[in-house]
This record gives sequence, structure tokens and C-alpha cells, in this order.
Amino acid sequence: MLSPSHLPLSATLRHDRSGLLMRASHVLVVVFVVAALVFAALGAALGDTFFLRLATEALILGGFALSVDILLGYTGLLSLGHALYFGFGAYVSALMLKQTPSFWLAMGVVLVAAAAFGFLTGLIANRVRGVYFALVTFGLAQVFAKVVYNTRALGASDGMIGIPIVPIELGVVTVMSNAPVAFFLFTLGFVTMLYAVSAYLLDTSFGRVLGALRANENRVPFLGYSTHRARLAIYVFASVVAALSGALYPMLRGFVSPELMFFAASGNAVITVVIGGVGTLVGALYGSVILTVLKSVIGTMTEHHLIVVGLIFMAVVIFLPKGLMGFVRPRVARLLDGGGR
Amino acid sequence: MTRSTTLLTLLAATTMLSVQALAADPIKIGVVTPLSGTYSPIGQQVRWGLELATKEVNAAGGIMGRQIELLFEDEEANPSVAVQKADKLFESQKVDFLTGTVNSGSTLAVGQTAERAGKLIATTVSFADSITGDKCSPNVFRVNARAGQQSAALAAWVAKQKPKAKVFFLGPDYEMGRSTVATFKRTIEGLGATSVGEVFAPLDNKDYTQYFGQLRQARPEVLYTSVAGNDTVRLLTQMQDFGLLGNLLVVGASGTVTSQNIGAIGSAANGFGTGVGYSVQIDNPQNKKFVADFKAAYNADPDLYGADSYGLIYFYKAAVEKAQSTETDKVRVAMRGLTWMTPQGEKTMRSEDHQAVQPMYVVQVREGKFNVVGDVAGSEAIGADECKRF
Repeated sequence: MLSPSHLPLSATLRHDRSGLLMRASHVLVVVFVVAALVFAALGAALGDTFFLRLATEALILGGFALSVDILLGYTGLLSLGHALYFGFGAYVSALMLKQTPSFWLAMGVVLVAAAAFGFLTGLIANRVRGVYFALVTFGLAQVFAKVVYNTRALGASDGMIGIPIVPIELGVVTVMSNAPVAFFLFTLGFVTMLYAVSAYLLDTSFGRVLGALRANENRVPFLGYSTHRARLAIYVFASVVAALSGALYPMLRGFVSPELMFFAASGNAVITVVIGGVGTLVGALYGSVILTVLKSVIGTMTEHHLIVVGLIFMAVVIFLPKGLMGFVRPRVARLLDGGGR
Repeated sequence: MTRSTTLLTLLAATTMLSVQALAADPIKIGVVTPLSGTYSPIGQQVRWGLELATKEVNAAGGIMGRQIELLFEDEEANPSVAVQKADKLFESQKVDFLTGTVNSGSTLAVGQTAERAGKLIATTVSFADSITGDKCSPNVFRVNARAGQQSAALAAWVAKQKPKAKVFFLGPDYEMGRSTVATFKRTIEGLGATSVGEVFAPLDNKDYTQYFGQLRQARPEVLYTSVAGNDTVRLLTQMQDFGLLGNLLVVGASGTVTSQNIGAIGSAANGFGTGVGYSVQIDNPQNKKFVADFKAAYNADPDLYGADSYGLIYFYKAAVEKAQSTETDKVRVAMRGLTWMTPQGEKTMRSEDHQAVQPMYVVQVREGKFNVVGDVAGSEAIGADECKRF
């Protein structure tokens, strides 16, 4: 029954399917960006500050959630301590900006430092698999958070305030980090870029190896790939994405505190990805906006907001097990497919 | 012609109406405080204290004829959440003033948010010296006693009880633990005591007996400790079991023995002394009335957080009435050097660092109860002004 001609055909089909889904993700990101631009225009027209800053924070956390999805959705690695890299980026950025308020220098240092830090901690975390990986990443984050919490030079438990407002030179324009509309637009562009780079990387043959890792790690070495190297590489990449997102946080809020590295932050990112849709990339952005807005609105209405968020999380897991984008994306893909024919 | 006149009259009338409406608009005070999680009992006291005072002030005609409206937001004792909520209250709700932050990280971060928004805040709980010290802000005021004041009051009392005492220090091994020990050590040595040793035990330490050899060998007359919660329970009960509590005066930070762990410590807590800014036993008419009203309203005793939060509303009222305005710059000037009445007696806002000067008290445990055993004048406990920003 198994004629050779079947193999390439089914392979192309599968490739098409994942390519189609990725294209659907791109469409959804375009929708997201358009909606964000409308929102920014509205905010600017109404002279709003609070909602624009809240949305900027949601985007920053969305970038962080994106890095969690790269690990969880594409490689099958559940990290319970990924806030370590988000906080690392925030602290490095804060320290740099306090020395010299230069945006590009700070981002450059965060990029290099996060890659090195992600590599070193990745060597430890990637020695184990499955539930042990979750535990080791959790432990790593706890250890570093405690060290920061007790280091007076880093502000200890009080964190650091006084991170200056930075000018971001973009060639033609300069964005000030305290200008609500401009910094929102900048963050939107930055996070979209993080998405684009991640999506591109995951679409290369390296990305296919990661998909294979998630599907059946034991089989991958038989195909001639090193699982260890691939896992470490994507871990470093995810660390850098998280750190670059974190680097924007002190520019927006003017401070950093050890709470940014705590488990609550790591857990929040996982919840964001699950609500948005694991393995969709774009879900991280939608999930982050939904969760941040929900928390802000419900938090004002009742002090039992954590119960409400918990119930929403449970409802999503039960009724939309693939998350919001896991539900929407295949429908968009079908539309695209129909349009193509 | 007639038409435009009518229009003008109408316009003038609406303007006047809106000006009048503005005068009668409530004064909004934002409260960013932990209402969920570990610190929620503190947030509860903050809320009760503020609400009780607000009720009283509103019943008596409000501030300059305007009622006070409190807007609560849960900060989860997390600076990131606190800053977001403060931003909402400042920018969206347009509050005139903000208070409630509990952990010092939140107070510092929200203070900076206030500075950037051009608003004023006050903390009624955070006691880290840095808030009105090296990290002071022209937009931040503190109406409660800081760690240095508690320490100074306790040291003055210890020096009176045991002049030139030999003191041993035992702290929890983290930043706050080490800094409280360092502060008390400096203060008591300045009053003539000698240090005979110090140890730092890990947080959540189960066995303190490993330090008892060192403690016994040093032959101290006074033991200062800044452990807290269940650590205090283990430390003091183990010391009692080993017979170390006789002839030793045990003193500590204000969070070492609290109403939450005093039951579990039992008789081992007897004789423990600490410096506080408030006690329900303070014997003055304002406090008696406050405690009675608080109990009647909430069926619970006020603690220092409730009392300081209650006093804050009267501080803000006095400042706004003095400034005849709610504008930031005018209120700030009015707050500086302001003297007002609180359950603890008279407080004065020091203009150099925005730290309230208040009488301090020393309480000692007897049979499961805190008794006021001494007081120290505000000027003696306040310490130097270390704020260099304004």
C-alpha cells in the first residue's frame, strides 16, 4: 500500500498545513497591530495617559509571554522560572540607564549579557527534561531572585528607583520614554519585530528540528541532529527575547524591583500563553492584552480579582483547550486556504 | 442680538454652575494598599483607619465644605502592581492625594510615579529609613515612625534600664535583618553599651540552640533580635527551654513579637520589650476616643497601621485648610512644618525630610499583653535629617 510517491505528497501537505497556520498567525498579528493603531489614535485624541501606559505594559508583557511560547509551544519546554530573564533584562537595562541614559547602548548590553546569561543557566537547565526541567528553571529563578532581594547594590528588597526618562533615537524621530502615545507605538513596533524574528526562526530548518524535539525527542538523534544543541540554542534565544522585553520595563515605569523575577511573574506568563493559545506565537500578544486589561478592570471592582482570573483561566482550559488563538487561527487558516484556491 | 445675549447669559450661568459644582465636588484620595495576599491584614487596618477618619471628617462638614471620597485599589504588595494602580488613580481618576502603600519598595516606586505626575503621596506604614533618607522625594511624606525612631526609643529605654550594658545581637540573615541590627547597634553603642557578639540565623531557621553556646559565653545582659513571625516563636521558646531567659533583657524590632505570634510564644514572651509609635494603651483622651470608636465600628482593636492611617486624614485636612487649596505645590508648602493631633498625641511634619516627629513608646510583654512602660519625646527619637534632595 505504501508507494514511494505518497511520502513526499504527505510531507508537502504537512508543510503546507504548518505554513498555512503560520500565515494565519501573521494575519492575526496584522489585525492586532491595526487594532493597536486605532487604539493609539483614540488615546491620542482623548489625551489619555493611563490606558496607553497600561497597553504599553501589556505589550511588554506580551513580548515576555512570546518567549515563553517559543519554549512551551514550539519546543515543548515548560519553564516555570522564565521571569528570571525578563527581570535580568530589566535590571541590566536599569543599571545601564542610570549610568548613561542611552537607549541603544542599554539594549545592546542587554542583548549580549542575556545571551551569555541564558547560555550559562541554559547549560544547567537543559541537563534535565520534562517535569525536572520545570523544577530546575523554577529553582534557578528563585535563587537569583533571592540574591537580588538581598543585594544592597541592586536595591535589595526595595528595588531601584530613579531610572531616567530616555530618548530613543530612531533616525528621523526621537521618542521619549515618558510620552504615552509615542512610546506605545515604539513598543508596538519593537514587539512586532520580536514576533517577526521569532516566526522567521521557527520557520527555518532549525525550527523544524524544534518541532521534532517536541514530537519525539528520542527519534531526533536518529535523523542526525543534536538535541542538546538545538535545545540550548532555543533556550538562549528565548532568554534574549524575554530580556529585551524586560529591558523596556524600567523605561516605562522608572523602576525595577525583585518582584519582576518572582514566580508570580513566571506563572503569569504561562497563564497568558495558555489563554492566548499555546504554540501560536500571536496568542501571547492577545493573551497579554486580555489578561492585563482584565486584571486592571476586575482589580478595581473587587479585591477577589485573583479568584476571577483563576476562574477565567479554568474556563479557558476546559472550553478552549487550545486557547483563544488556538480556536481562531484554524478558522483564519481555512479562510486563507479558501481564498488561495 | 437678544439671542446672543441669552446665549451669553446661559454660558455665564453654566460657567458659574460648574464653578459651584467644583467647589462642592468631593476631594478624592486614592488608596493603593494590599487587600489580598500576605499583607492583607495590614491593608485591612489601613482601610479601617482611613474610613473611620473620613466618616468623622465628612460628618463634620468635610474639608473646606468638600466631602472626602476614598478610592481603593489592591496593590498585592507588589511594586509593579502598585505603580500601575497609582497611575490609574492619578491619570484616570484624577485623585488629589494618594496613600496606603505598605512595603517600602511600593512606597518608593509610587513616590516616583507621584513625582512624575506632579501629585503628593504619604505612607502610613512603610518604615524603611531610606524613604525619608537617601531616597527621599519632595512629593513623599511619612506620617508614621520610621525604623530609626523605633530603634532610638528602644535604645534610650534600654540604656536607662541597664546602663552600659553588654549587648548581644541575633538577626535573620537577610538585608532587612542585617540593617535593623546595624541601626540598633550603632544607636545603643552611642549610649554607652558594648557589643559582645552578633549572629545571623537563616530565615525560617528551625534550631536556634546551635547559637546558644556563643550567646552564653558572651555573657550579655541584653539580647537584641529582629527575627519575626514563627522564627520568634522558636527562638524564644528554645531559649526558655535552655534556661537562658533569666537575668537577660530581651528586646527587639517592632515586628518581632506581634499579636499574631504572641499566643504561640506563651510565657517565653514575658519581659520582651520593643519601641513602637503606637499602642492602644496610650493614655490620652484622643486615643481613648479613637480606640472606642474603632472597636465600635469594626469589632477589632486598632494597631499602629490603623492609628497612623486614621491620623493621616487629619493631616491632609489640616494641610488643605491651611493652603486653602488642593494644588500640589500649595499643599506641599502647607504640609511642611505642620503640627496636627493624632491618637498618639501631637505630630509635627519635619520640613527638611518630610518625616513626622512624634512621641515614641516602649512596650513590654506581661502575661500575653503589651504594656506601655516608657516613652521618649519625639525630638529625642527623630534622628538626623539625611535627605539631600530638597
